[in-house]
Parts: sequence; structure tokens; C-alpha cells
Amino acid sequence: MSEIQKKKPSVISDVRYACAVGATNTVVAIKGAVPIANCSPGCQLKTTAMLTFENGFQGSIAAGGGNMPSSNATENDVVFGGIKTLDNLIKSSLKIYDGDLFVVLTGCTGELIGDNVPDLVGKYQKAGYPIVYANTAGFKGNNLYGHEVVVDAIIDQFVGDYSGEKKKGLINLWFETPYYNQNWRGDYQELARILRGAGFDVNVLFGPENPGVEAWKRIPQAQFNLVVSPWVGVKNAEHLQKKYDQPYLHIPEIPVGEEATTKFIRQVVEYAGIDKKQSEEFIKQEASIYYYYLEHFSEFFAEYWYGMPSEFVVTADAAYALAYSKFLADQIGLIPKRVIITDNTPAKFRPAITEYFKNNISEGVSIDVDFEEDGYEVEKLIESVEFTAGKPLILGTSWELTLANKKGALFFEISTPSSETLIVNRSHIGYKGALQFLERIYSASVGGK
Amino acid sequence: MANRINLNMTTVENRELRLGTIIGWDGSAKELIEQSAYDERSIKKHGGCKGAGQGCRLCELQSPLNQETMCSNAIVQCQIGNLTDCVLINHAPIGCSSEDAKFNLTMHMGLARRGKPQQNTLNISTNLQEKDMVFGGAAKLRQAIRIAKERYNPKAIFIAMACATAITGEDIDSVAEEMEPEVGVPIIPLHCEGFRSKHWSTGFDVAFHGVLRQIVEKHPKKKQKDLINIIALWGTDWFTDLLKPLGLRVNYLLDCASFEEIRQASEAVATTTFCETLGGYMGAALEDQFGVPQIDAPQPYGIKGTDAWLRAVAKVVGKEKEVEEYIESEHKRIAPKLEEYREYFKGKYGMVLTGSAYAHGLISVLAELGIKNEAALVFHHDPVYDGAGKNQDTLKELVETYGDIPHYTVSKTRAFQLPQLLKRVKTDFLIIRHPGLASVAGHLGVPTFALGDEHIPIGYDGILRVGEILKGVLARTKFNKTLQRHVRLPYNDWWFSQTDPFKLTNDKDVFKDIEEKLGE
Ligand code: SF4
Repeated sequence: MSEIQKKKPSVISDVRYACAVGATNTVVAIKGAVPIANCSPGCQLKTTAMLTFENGFQGSIAAGGGNMPSSNATENDVVFGGIKTLDNLIKSSLKIYDGDLFVVLTGCTGELIGDNVPDLVGKYQKAGYPIVYANTAGFKGNNLYGHEVVVDAIIDQFVGDYSGEKKKGLINLWFETPYYNQNWRGDYQELARILRGAGFDVNVLFGPENPGVEAWKRIPQAQFNLVVSPWVGVKNAEHLQKKYDQPYLHIPEIPVGEEATTKFIRQVVEYAGIDKKQSEEFIKQEASIYYYYLEHFSEFFAEYWYGMPSEFVVTADAAYALAYSKFLADQIGLIPKRVIITDNTPAKFRPAITEYFKNNISEGVSIDVDFEEDGYEVEKLIESVEFTAGKPLILGTSWELTLANKKGALFFEISTPSSETLIVNRSHIGYKGALQFLERIYSASVGGK
Repeated sequence: MANRINLNMTTVENRELRLGTIIGWDGSAKELIEQSAYDERSIKKHGGCKGAGQGCRLCELQSPLNQETMCSNAIVQCQIGNLTDCVLINHAPIGCSSEDAKFNLTMHMGLARRGKPQQNTLNISTNLQEKDMVFGGAAKLRQAIRIAKERYNPKAIFIAMACATAITGEDIDSVAEEMEPEVGVPIIPLHCEGFRSKHWSTGFDVAFHGVLRQIVEKHPKKKQKDLINIIALWGTDWFTDLLKPLGLRVNYLLDCASFEEIRQASEAVATTTFCETLGGYMGAALEDQFGVPQIDAPQPYGIKGTDAWLRAVAKVVGKEKEVEEYIESEHKRIAPKLEEYREYFKGKYGMVLTGSAYAHGLISVLAELGIKNEAALVFHHDPVYDGAGKNQDTLKELVETYGDIPHYTVSKTRAFQLPQLLKRVKTDFLIIRHPGLASVAGHLGVPTFALGDEHIPIGYDGILRVGEILKGVLARTKFNKTLQRHVRLPYNDWWFSQTDPFKLTNDKDVFKDIEEKLGE
């Protein structure tokens, strides 16, 4: 590393996340919710391009993508203030959209020119419109940060106060940042399926099984909040704890594969104190199906004699870097050579994640995880890996494609951005998803590749 | 001749001031031609007396509702960010770079189409944080410049301004000037912050402005008599097929170009483009300030347009005789296939939704295929282009050759108007060249053709290429009908029942109910 590089540049090449105002997509993930982007003209196209298009081409829905209202600030707004423009935008949005909840997200421009958005939105709130605002300037953080800001904003300004009873067995599922991981929709479904199978009433706040904004109104009634992620959502759970005296269970590891998922279920059931009969029955049934398939797969695994990957590198956000590495290292026996976490994980969560990779990943496996957001450095880190056993496997983003080709590696995209992959409905987690994950990895290995 | 382009400053006057660009209008194409007064504006651009008038400011429909759209900074990224040996530093918070991966894909596609080796884009974001908004980001910018040099050893380094840095008053000009001696390559500031222009196409001009000032050879030692500049994006190299018979080699600018290809632009024999919206600025500047003539002709779309364009090119290289034979043989060559397509598309209606000059070209191609165009949507209208050539009034050329377009709408990426726009006319398919709209239109039961390779429709073969693709597009109607049966756009019944796409603008009482509720 040269002198210049050593100074730990804060610059970024080959970006792997969007900025806070990209959390408009968090709103799109709630049925019936309409984001109102209060930012400059290019902001939404760019962030949405990254999250919904260059990310498995997962696409958008409803008031997302091209349908998204956006103030598209002009020079005039910058000089004279943008409140009038935003006021018009809100009126128009209320006028023509079918919306149960409107969320105004202010980006860099509005924040820098100092528009009083709370005041303006307050006027609509007082008149009874379901509308909230969130400060999501791009210079404040990335889209994961923005996601947490938006969630808190909706809780505070839309869900509101609650003093009623909590319902045993009802859990709020706090999981991944919508539209960030390419499989988020399928993963939400698989996790919800598992928790329901175990006997819970699952309050799904985002994605295909979210019933709409009424799920958000139900939040305070839940027995507890379940956060399944190394860090995203913990802030919201802490907030809910204060606000509704609602406890939370934080499980950093998204479960992948039978053993991890079974352990996950037992941990949640134990915490909730609900009856174990249903969950144990569910586990038994899921496990038997899982191993029915795994046994079939084992024939390929044992007899395919044209070569298979043994070593792998992962570059992804904290959640999936951890979940996938664990499954591959612990359940399949692939050797992790490097794990690079690229989501700007807040400093306070890093030691725990580092420790996890050092001591918890699997017996006899220990790895020093790297936190690096700058794509140039990510590439250098991968380039310097010496693969020693067969064809390497690189799980990363489309930025790694050229490098993977150079290294002669098997490559597929698991994190943002992805432009070599099309996702319609896919999951790599839980019981079912893990088997799909195997299919995907070993499909890359078979045939004359 | 007046200097139509001022290269003395680092900034570019935006299009609304320079050209009178508008982004909201609704009427017939004929009316817009009249109101635009291209000829008068053209005389003015060429230094004609004030008496000729500027053409009054066009009436513009303002919309209270806008939607996801593009900005000049994004355009600079897709132009300068796609150079092979220069680095683009986006001096901005990280969000402004979040389309980089898409431009990387575009670059890979472009390189493949042009037969160049694959590589990733060379991009850096200064990734500005809240504290940089308060204390300034100059130190980070200097660091980024050094890192750019060290990482990529580029031939030039560009700095893009963004909204946040423009508001906080970052002085990118000074930093560029100060750092240039240290890194030893041109450092080029680009004032492309998104809010500066209401239309993203100003970004094209900013990109060209930068390379014209600091890369294009000011005093070319030699002329390359067989080299022609094509102002393009990433399209497939069909211009070579088109121009080879005239003995010309093409120099594509700017996407996928190298520093050297840009530098030699002043050595070329002429400049032309696939789209006056894109190419006007560069063409005019090369003509005025570097003595490279621009091809003053209609754009190379449809038979008549391509004929005229080829003749104009041939004139510059002294091949007037050869070109006639060439044109005649081309007409003959495509005739049978063209007849076939005309038969196939009989009774079909199309609608084009793209930038303005390109739309005019595309509509010509559809007309050649026998497809009717009752409506069109352009994202902006420039009443005149920077080149302002006598024969470059693309809208007039279109209407004179193929007839009026009764519903000609200017509106910048306002997807919410699509239900009304489609209600007014018959449309069997849409051709769209901008992200965000095609999928929305697709919900309305009409198949869409997202035209990514912008060179597909050019020249004689372009007509056939479009015909071939449209056959497939029409078949996809089945998908869109399925979608229409089951999925609904996010707008309410009241909006769907409206017929005027500019209802929110034209009806002064439209927000009355909301205002009453608010007590306003
Ligand atoms: S902040 Fe400005 S420059 Fe950046 S993406 Fe938004 S509009 Fe474009």
C-alpha cells in the first residue's frame, strides 16, 4: 500500500450502496405507501437505478420507480427556498395517488437550503392526512442508515402512541433493508413462513406479505421485536423499546440451512416462551424434507469428478456476508479465504461481527473479516488472495466480474450492484432458500465451464 | 460568423437560457414549429442583427407534480464516466454516484459493440459527509485527485460538481488549477450540478465544454482527411457501414472514447451526430473555434433524411458523384424488405417518447415503415440548437416530410400523464428512451420498446432494423395485457377518469378540496 492509500481515504470507487434518500424504496416496500422525494432531479433515478435495477433487475412497484413523486429542485428553489415546490408536490400527490401513507424524504438540497419541512408536513398532519417526513440527506449516511430513519419517522409520526395490551406470540419482523439485497422479497417470505410454522403471528412490515400500512399500526401490540441482522434495525428496536416498552430479540445471523434455521426457531420460541409443540413439529417436518433433498444432492457432491470449488471469497453487506459465509463454511465445507463487508457497518457493531468471524463461524474455521467500502480496495483485497485449491468461488457484485474472469474464478452476484443476474422470486435463506443457494453455486460449477 | 459557443469560462449557460428550452407544452407539432421560430433564432445564433429577433420565449406549462428523473450530473457520469483512460471524480455525497454501476454496465455494452477491450469505469466519489458540508470538501477533493492519479494513471481527471457541493460553494476551478502541475495531466472542472438546469441535456453541453476547453487539440498539426467525428453515445458502430463507401473513418465522441480520440477531434474533416439534441454544442464549437465544419443536414433517419445527410457528408469530402450511385443502390437494396414491413405494419400506430431531436428521427423511421404517429412525447423542446444550421430544424423537417403530429407533448418524465396521453390516441406500441417510463406504460396494456442502442434506427438499414425489432415488440402485447388485467398503477380513479394530461396545471381549482381541508 502506498503512502496516499495508507491515509485511509474516505473516497469511494465502485460504489456498493445508495445514499439515505434512496430509502424511498423502504416506503415502496410498504403496500399503499407513497414516497414523496424532496430532493434534486437526479437523486431518485440514481438511487433507484442502483437498488431496483442494477441489483438483480428486481424492479419496482406501485409508487416506486418512474411513478415516484419528486420535487426535482431547481436553481430557483435553491436560491429562494423550495417549500412552495414541495407544497405543490404534496398537494398533487394527495390528489392523484391511491395512498394510505405518504412519506416525505428530504435529500441534500432541501437540508442544505434549510427548508422547514416539518412545519409544512405538520400542516397536513393537522388536517388529518396520513403523512410523515424524514431527514434523509445523502451526506448523513447511506441507504441503510436512511432506512432506519424512515422506519423511526413512520413509527413516531404515523403509528403514534399506544397504551393497550401486548399480544403474546405476535412479533414484529425487522429484517433486511428492502430492495438492498437482491433476494430480500423471497427472504422475507421464507423467514415469515418459518416463524409462522413455529407458531407465531408474524407482523410483516415490508415486501410481498406485508398487508399494508395496517401492519404498522399493529406494531405496538406485538409481544416483542425480532431483529434478524447484524445491525440494521437494532436502532429501531431500541427506539420501540423506549417508546412502547416493547422488548426486542436481536439475532445477528440470518439462518441458512437446516441446522442454523432450527437453532434460530428454538431461540425465538425460547425467548417468547410460547408452547414448543408446534415449533418442534414444524422443525421435524422441515428437516425431513431438507435432508430428503440434501441426500439427493450428496450424490452429485460425491461423484462429480470434473472439479468443484473449494475456496471462496465473499464481498457483501454485513448481514449476507455473515449468513452465507457461515453456511458455506459450516455446512458445506468450503474454505473462506476472505470476507469483505462493504455496507459501512457502524463502528459499535464491528467488534461483535469481527469476533463472530473469528470464533463462531464453524469449528476449526477462523477468519479476519475486512470492513471496506471503497471498491478499489475491495478489488485489491480479492486480488491478493492466493487460492490454493481448484477453481476459486467469488461471491460479490458486478464490480468483481472483470476480476473474477481474470482469476478464472466461478463467480456470481449476491450483493449490490448486480447486473449479471435477474431475480424474480428467489431466496437463499432458511430451509428452502439454502437448497436454492446450493443449486446456484453448483450450477455455476457444472457443465463445461 | 458569431461565436455560438463561449469557451472562455468553465461554466456553461444552461439550455433554458441559451436555447430557450422548455419541458412542458401540449399541442400539435405544427403549432410548436410556428411558436419556435427556428429560422429567426438561427439567424440570431449566427450573429444576425438584433432586428431578426430572438423568437419570443415559448409558453411553458408548469407542472406542480414531477417525478423521478435524470440530472446533468448523471449525464456527465454517462459521458465522461465512460471514457476509457480518464477518471471522473464526483465531488459529492455518495448518492450522486449510485448510478455508477449502471454506467459501468453501459460501458461494457458499448465497448463490446465497438470491439474494444472490456474494462470497468474509472470513477471516484469524494463521498462527502455532514462535516464536509460545514467545513468544506477541498482537502478531500485534493486527496481524491492524488488517488485518481495513483490508482488509474489517467490521461485526464474530471471533477463533477453536484448539488450539495454547488450549494456549499466548493471552488472546484481553483482546486483543479492548483493541482494540475502536481499530477501532470489536465484536471477539468465540470459544473453539472443537477439543480442548475431544468433539463438534464445541459449535462451533455457541460461534458463537451470540458473536453473542448482542455483536451481537443487547439492547434492540430495535421488534418485527417478521412476522419469524421460522430457525436454519439454507446451505439453499435453502424456509422462505419454507412460512411465507408465515402471513404470515411468514424471518430465516436464521447462514450467509450479515449483521450486521444477526443484530442484528435479538431483534426477531423467534419462533425455530425445521430441526434442534434446531443451533438449541437460540440458540433457548433468545433466549427466555430476549431474550423471543423458540422454537417448541416437533416439527421440520418428515414430515406429522405439519410439521402440528404449522405449528400451533405459527401459534399465535404468531394464525393458528390459517388454518393448518388451509392444512394441509388441502397434504395434498391432495401426496397423489397421495406415493402414487406410496410405490409406487415399496415394500420398500426406507434408513439415515440424520447428526447426531442431523436424523437423526430425515430418518428421518420416509423413513418417509413408505414406506421402512423398520432402522438409523440418529448422530454424537452429546444426551439433552436447550438449548431442552428439551416437544415437542422429537425421538427420542421419531420412535419414537412411526413405530416403533422396532432398530439405533440413536451413533458419531462412525468409518468403520471401516461394514462391520459394513451387515452387520446390509438397506439399499438411505444418506443421509449429513458428509464422509468417504459414499465409504467407497460401497465397500460401497450408493449414498449426500450431503445438502448441508439444507433439502431440510423440510415437505410436502420429502418429495417427497427421493423424487425418491432415485430417482436408487438408480440409482447400479450404480456402487457396480462399485466393490465391484474396490476394497477398507483393513481386513483379520479385521475384515471381525466383526459387532460396537464389537468393539474390547467385547472386552477384542482386543489380546492385539499386547500379547504387545510383551511387555506
Ligand atoms: S444531488 Fe444533485 S447532482 Fe446529486 S444526484 Fe441529486 S440531482 Fe444529481
